[in-house]
Amino acid sequence: MSLVQQSNASNSGGGSGNLYDVLELILDRGLVIDAFVRVSLVGIEILKIDVRVVVASVDTYLRFAEACNRLDLESGRKAPAQLTDIVGDTMESGAKGKSKGALTGAVEAFTDSLQGGRDDSDDKEKEKRPARKTSASSSSRRTSQRGEE
Amino acid sequence: MPTYIYAITAADHPLRLDGLSGVGEPASDLRTVKTGALGAVVSDTPAELRAKRRDLVAHQSVLERLMADGAALPMRFGLVGPDDEQVRAALEQGKDAYTARLSELDGRLEYNLKVSREEQSLLREILAESQEARRLSEYTRENPGAQDQMMALGELVSREIQGRQEAAGKEVAASLADAAERISEGEPTKTHFLNVSYLVRRDQASAFAQAVHEEAERRGDDYTFALNGPLPPYSFV
Repeated sequence: MSLVQQSNASNSGGGSGNLYDVLELILDRGLVIDAFVRVSLVGIEILKIDVRVVVASVDTYLRFAEACNRLDLESGRKAPAQLTDIVGDTMESGAKGKSKGALTGAVEAFTDSLQGGRDDSDDKEKEKRPARKTSASSSSRRTSQRGEE
Repeated sequence: MPTYIYAITAADHPLRLDGLSGVGEPASDLRTVKTGALGAVVSDTPAELRAKRRDLVAHQSVLERLMADGAALPMRFGLVGPDDEQVRAALEQGKDAYTARLSELDGRLEYNLKVSREEQSLLREILAESQEARRLSEYTRENPGAQDQMMALGELVSREIQGRQEAAGKEVAASLADAAERISEGEPTKTHFLNVSYLVRRDQASAFAQAVHEEAERRGDDYTFALNGPLPPYSFV
């Protein structure tokens, strides 16, 4: 199994470690007061569109079809019990790369939207944090969790 | 100057804000606005507020601190009132509703769960179980120029993915419902087919985490569960 549990309250950084994962809660949920306004937040609309799932499009169809045809068909024909084993063994490299790619794309958009007008003192932390931290957690997620299990 | 609002609490909340600062660069100073029954944590609004990392962290950090000391209604990032006086007026006006919501949320926390499944395992499952998908896949591999069949395969697979993920999402969400008080479903993301928040009593938090753990174990290696919490109850205000 793979379970990543992140506990904000115990983090010294006060939630900065997993900000990306809870971004939509901070931006889209939470209480509003009807008579008050929300400041215009440049970049956020773009970010939301980027993260949203896109299913019905020609590009998506082609991508799925090609992904299917790249799979080893022999393993697809085998019984479910065997299938599980094969999947477990062969998934590690391929799918990991794929999910990492998707996540990194979203993170880059996030980083872009957060990058404008920062100062020098923040540079070091920011360069590392949003881009590397999140993509690293996606690729290390399975392995690190297994270690804990 | 417009007043940026972080949270609404009961008047007896300690509002321990030492060491914290507000949004903006340079960081704004936090202060409180109080009425007889309620309090709000606010600051000046920076001239050009954008959702920069430091601002999001500042907002989130204030809420986490408040959450540790009692019930607080988290405001959405970027909410601004004309001035402190009008914030006070809004607290008075919404007093009954805010008080009721604060007591509903007292001793409760939000946990956000995102679940993804590795795509190749899902594609293998679809090919193994759908004869039509297998037929189209074989055909298009032998006839690389068959665009119509490629589209048909992609559309079929896409529909299967959606159906299977929706079903799995419902199963996972339902399996945890008993361990939580309330559920708030979010939109799936590109990578996660399930994105759902649970409102959990503080004293049941470890039982909830255990339930998530068990469900993750049942689902096996193809699934990745990411549990975030405890969080301010953004999804339940």
